[in-house]
Amino acid sequence: MTTATAVLDAHGLTKTFDGHTVLQGLDLEVGGGEFISVMGPSGSGKSTLLYNISGMDTMTAGSVAFAGQDLASLSQKQLARLRLTTMGFIFQHVYLLKNLCLLDNVVLPAYLAGLAPREQLNERAMALMRRTGVAELADRDVSEASGGQLQRIGICRALINQPTILFCDEPTGALDSAAAAEIMDILGELNTEGTTIMLVTHDAKVAARTSRVLYLIDGRIVGDRHQGRYDGTRHDQRHLELTEWLLEQGL
Amino acid sequence: MRLNARPRGVARPDDPAVDTPVPNRPGTGREARGDPRSRRRGGRFGLYGRMVARDVARNRGITTALVALMMLSVMLGTASAGTLVRLIGASSNLMTLADAPHVAQLHAGEFDQPEVDRWAAGRLEVAHHQAMLMLGIDGGNLRFGGEPQTDSIQQNSLVVPNGAHDLLLDLENRPITRIEPGTIVLPVIYEGQDGLAVGDTVTITGAAGFTKDLTIAGFARDSIMNPAIASSKRLAVAPVDLEEVRARTGEVEHLVEFWLQDPATQSAGFKKAYQDAGMPQAGPMVDSATFQTLTVIGDGMVASVVILVSMLLLVVGLLCLRFSFLTAAEQDYREIGVLKAIGVAPRDVRRIYLTKYALLAGVASLLGLVGGLSLTPVLTRNITRYMGTASTPWNWIVPILAAALIFVVLVLFVLVLLRRFRKISAVVALSAGATHQPKATRVRLHRSRMPVQVRLGTMDVIARWPTYLLLLVVFAVSTFIMIVPVNSATTANAPGFINYMGIGTVDLRIDLRSTDEGSPDAFGAVVEQLEADPSVAVIAPMVTTRNDTIDRDGNAASLYIENGDHGRLPLTYAEGRAPTGGSEIALSLLALHQSGLGVGDTLPVEVEGQVRDLSVVGSYQDITHGGKTAKSSLPTGSEEVMWYVIGVELAPGADASAITREYGEQFAPAKVADIEQWRSQTLGSTAQQLTVAAGVSAVVAIVLAALMTALFARMLLARDAGQIAIQRAIGADDAGLRQQYLTRILLVLVLGVIVGTVAANTLGELMFNLMFEGMYGGFETLAQGTSRIDFSVNPLLAYALLPAALLGVVTVVTAASSRSISTTEISSLTTE
Ligand SMILES: Nc1ncnc2c1ncn2[C@@H]1O[C@H](COP(=O)(O)OP(=O)(O)OP(=O)(O)O)[C@@H](O)[C@H]1O
Ligand SMILES: [Mg+2]
Repeated sequence: MTTATAVLDAHGLTKTFDGHTVLQGLDLEVGGGEFISVMGPSGSGKSTLLYNISGMDTMTAGSVAFAGQDLASLSQKQLARLRLTTMGFIFQHVYLLKNLCLLDNVVLPAYLAGLAPREQLNERAMALMRRTGVAELADRDVSEASGGQLQRIGICRALINQPTILFCDEPTGALDSAAAAEIMDILGELNTEGTTIMLVTHDAKVAARTSRVLYLIDGRIVGDRHQGRYDGTRHDQRHLELTEWLLEQGL
Repeated sequence: MRLNARPRGVARPDDPAVDTPVPNRPGTGREARGDPRSRRRGGRFGLYGRMVARDVARNRGITTALVALMMLSVMLGTASAGTLVRLIGASSNLMTLADAPHVAQLHAGEFDQPEVDRWAAGRLEVAHHQAMLMLGIDGGNLRFGGEPQTDSIQQNSLVVPNGAHDLLLDLENRPITRIEPGTIVLPVIYEGQDGLAVGDTVTITGAAGFTKDLTIAGFARDSIMNPAIASSKRLAVAPVDLEEVRARTGEVEHLVEFWLQDPATQSAGFKKAYQDAGMPQAGPMVDSATFQTLTVIGDGMVASVVILVSMLLLVVGLLCLRFSFLTAAEQDYREIGVLKAIGVAPRDVRRIYLTKYALLAGVASLLGLVGGLSLTPVLTRNITRYMGTASTPWNWIVPILAAALIFVVLVLFVLVLLRRFRKISAVVALSAGATHQPKATRVRLHRSRMPVQVRLGTMDVIARWPTYLLLLVVFAVSTFIMIVPVNSATTANAPGFINYMGIGTVDLRIDLRSTDEGSPDAFGAVVEQLEADPSVAVIAPMVTTRNDTIDRDGNAASLYIENGDHGRLPLTYAEGRAPTGGSEIALSLLALHQSGLGVGDTLPVEVEGQVRDLSVVGSYQDITHGGKTAKSSLPTGSEEVMWYVIGVELAPGADASAITREYGEQFAPAKVADIEQWRSQTLGSTAQQLTVAAGVSAVVAIVLAALMTALFARMLLARDAGQIAIQRAIGADDAGLRQQYLTRILLVLVLGVIVGTVAANTLGELMFNLMFEGMYGGFETLAQGTSRIDFSVNPLLAYALLPAALLGVVTVVTAASSRSISTTEISSLTTE
């Protein structure tokens, strides 16, 4: 990928928790329209990478540029606005607001951004929920839906402001393989429509559907594999090749 | 509280859909994982002790606030109990040391001592009696340190102090029995007035250029005429000086005093017998119960306000206790289940909590007691000055008992709360995790037009209202203890308050005592002159007589009846209307209560030797003359006249102060006062003390609100850390989140202020009246409707400035507390 089209450009990204360094001066460039998966053992810093590269968490050292703009130069308010309008985030544990019904959870970022009349935003939310198959749950409480359904609500919330980049932290981790495949179909479609996606997963089958795979150990990128776009065919073949590559990394 | 005993797999409430509600502070979980052997060494109680210590450390904010509240409540409780006991102790001590008479009759005019002696000798209940000569000096003839006393409503009289019985006491409570010639001892009320001090000069003037200078040798406490509301004052001089002045000026009166064998049972009958026997009685008659009421009323009111504040603080303290308990219980819910599962008896679990809260309450009570005991001297400064101190062990025992009582209430409350632990079953606790999830509400964000963060704040208050209840009560209580004392003070200071002092809206008030046969003529002359004066618009001349009637038990009683045209310059009647003609009467609320009648009934009154049935057409409140007066227009010619009062309304544009001064000189010895001056002098320091109490309680209220807001906001932010992290992650900015929290707290504040204001104007007014009822009639008139004062509210102060102050403080505290929002990051959820 060339610098000209880079959406994200991280240099020496370092994150320390109470003297324990989780990200060790990591460099990463993400091009527009890429579909990247991040893999690595538990505790290797995958979630932390997503949080810091998106400006959600404050890094300890290093720099991140988003669309050519240094995140460190932005005020807290500008940073929040940037996250709100151009980034979408799907969390490992979904993290919905439990006081709100499911539809409210989806529309909240849109209301915060306030870029269109509320009726229109409600409509857009309902359209997203129809597309992900959870429209009939709109008025339900967070405690009245299954894990898979909540994960889809999380996706709708991430998409409501039509972000240019989507960060997903194990969006399929809690789902069975059929549900996981459905989610991956949706993400694939979005990527085809032009959304850049960065996705954390433990599942090689999921990673096989992305075009680039990063492998993290102890907060360092130890492997970076470009495997070409997934066109819906040769999935088993891609999976096999990736598994072999992963075994190499693990050594 | 994470226990080592917990099986690792079971503990984590990893519901993937929602964030966990109670974030641990980083580190606490690790500390808990100590070396298992050390635990065994400490034994079971060591474990409990550590649980308690850890719990206190984790909830430091709420624990501090809880201890502070309990302490404040104990402090004010002990201070007010201490004040009351000192007040009662000091006043009865003063009565005892001074050997105050049980019944005293002031008599103006001719006095036949042998006649009184003969009568008294025939009365078995009389233990001792004596009469004291009092030489009344008109205010125009009296100057204190150069200041003429024309404006004073006090009736000052020179006396030679008694050598025994009814003693004047110096400021060390030692009897003053001898005054050096050329010197004078003034009542303590004058100390410091216009800078008056020992060594200053009191000047008495009289006809034909008579001038007598006396040097102030000291100040004295007077067991029966101490307070401002008792309008006579005794100034002690040497016999030679008294004789010298008496030859040139002054009005001779006698104070006839009686000491009874058993005043409690004999006083009423004795007074009646004295009056029936036609003994000297040209003036008011009072008994020791009245002196005592007048003496304690001002400080009693202040102590009542402090007691009220302390009780409200106790209520808030109990709520805070419950809140702290539930927070701890929620955190410990699973551990309690584990303890039960491994076979620890529920009794032991309860003991852990009881130990914790009893310890906290104990510490708070001790600190509060110390604080209360050191606050007492501040509250009793006035009492000490006017009455001295009575050193009895009760001064210490009562505050300690008060503190102990509050401690017991706190512990009992914990015991009640602990009953809920019986219901926790091991299985439910282990499987369900947190005690309760918030209930879903029908309030929806996507149907709202409000700004997002304001809406989110509102929704949270609605969804989790039980959480906000504590804060609501705190704000309501703060508003209440801010507004009630302020309204009490503005009411007592309002011009309209004279309505409760038995007089209508007048500009001037002229008081003339009935002293001798010349009095009716003097009164007539004043009336005549007023009628001729163009600057006087309306006058209402009243003649007060003492008439016989019967009380509710059918016993004979006497009643002061003010006769005149009550249609002129009328006062506001609590019930009914003004009496017209000689067949109607209006009674003061206390007199009405005493007669056992209601408006519409008839009251038998002896008029000109005949019993007349007067119909009671109205009732009104009168806090003067012991609260028992009546109004009618009966013939007064052959009755015994006590005093004359003329209400004056001036013509528009008339200069009230000039007229007051002019008439004051012209009508002497009648007292002319503009009504405002009369009100403030009669109420004396009471209204002033209420103002001080109002200021103090407003400060307490604001501090309480600030403290609890800080605590609550911190608790809320800690509890919501997960939700805040999520909102920040999806792009909510910090200013918006701060707005959301401000919305929550200000919404609760507004509701609290409304609740508190409504309560202040209903309950608060009720309490204010109860206070008067208790102070005038004791227990039996409590809640009998003998006081019906309406709050006269200063709306700007009570409904705008004070709530605005509260709003300002709460906003600042909330904004300051919500700084932690900026440091809440999504990665903190990882360690959950
Ligand atoms: N807020 C925090 N405070 C302290 N340590 C943290 C915090 N967040 C993460 N860590 C630590 O940083 C390391 C990396 O965590 P991270 O969540 O990024 O791992 P991960 O690769 O996403 O793991 P998993 O696959 O289990 O989700 C872990 O050791 C974790 O304990
Ligand atoms: Mg992770």
